[in-house]
Amino acid sequence: MLADGDRSNDNRLSFDLPCTKKSLARAREKIRRFAVDNGFETQVEDIQLATQEAIKNVIQHACPADNNIRVDLLASGDSIEVEVSDMGMGFDADTVMRRDKAPMAVDGRGFVLMEGLMDTVGVTSDSEGTVVRMEKSRGDGTTGGPEG
Amino acid sequence: MEIQVEEKEGFYTVTPVGELDVYTVPLFRKVVLKLEGDRRHDIILDLTSLTFLDSSGIGSLIEVYQKVRSAEGNIAFVLDNPRILKLFRLVNLDRVFRIYPNLGKALQAVGVSSGYVDEKFFSDLT
Repeated sequence: MLADGDRSNDNRLSFDLPCTKKSLARAREKIRRFAVDNGFETQVEDIQLATQEAIKNVIQHACPADNNIRVDLLASGDSIEVEVSDMGMGFDADTVMRRDKAPMAVDGRGFVLMEGLMDTVGVTSDSEGTVVRMEKSRGDGTTGGPEG
Repeated sequence: MEIQVEEKEGFYTVTPVGELDVYTVPLFRKVVLKLEGDRRHDIILDLTSLTFLDSSGIGSLIEVYQKVRSAEGNIAFVLDNPRILKLFRLVNLDRVFRIYPNLGKALQAVGVSSGYVDEKFFSDLT
């Protein structure tokens, strides 16, 4: 059962979340159901965690003025596309994605996990907001990580 | 999340049960850093009962590791979940942490042997 504000058909799901930590658990459950319903049982944990990290980044860093985070999921053929967007203050995407974190830094591993768990990760960001786009193929369940 | 703490020959085994993520990290930090505050510097983190780990949880494990090491204490990790191991590899923690597949091997490695029962050994015999 979709909550108010969700827009969905068989292979597409879009929903908005308030910019609070409680949104993470809500998003995880929605993503799990969508991935399983579309036959991505093997990849569901990777997709859940990568999306949670993207949402967490928004909550911790973007502070969107409208207090809103948008999540779009599209299952097409052999892959799931995930888009997490906000209308926050944005950041220098190149710097964040390429920064060479100190090996034992306590924070800053969100993008490392996203890139390791998903097949592709792209970020566009400017003063009007940020969009994180990720894709995960069905593959044999081992793509996107060191186990593959 | 529930956190179990057990002492054996000066080593504290800390077992978080459930999810270690942005929601539960504050409780985990409170429990483990209290051990540190009480000068319990030798810790085994048993992660075999973790069902979910995110970047905040990973950060909290690194924080505990650093505090124990800076106090010249010993710390080892017990981990048999391929899912969590995959995350450790993604952030290269498998190259930094001392990781053992079960608590018995971890206790043995840090020199705590009394009362140790290799459950897998006995289960293989049945």
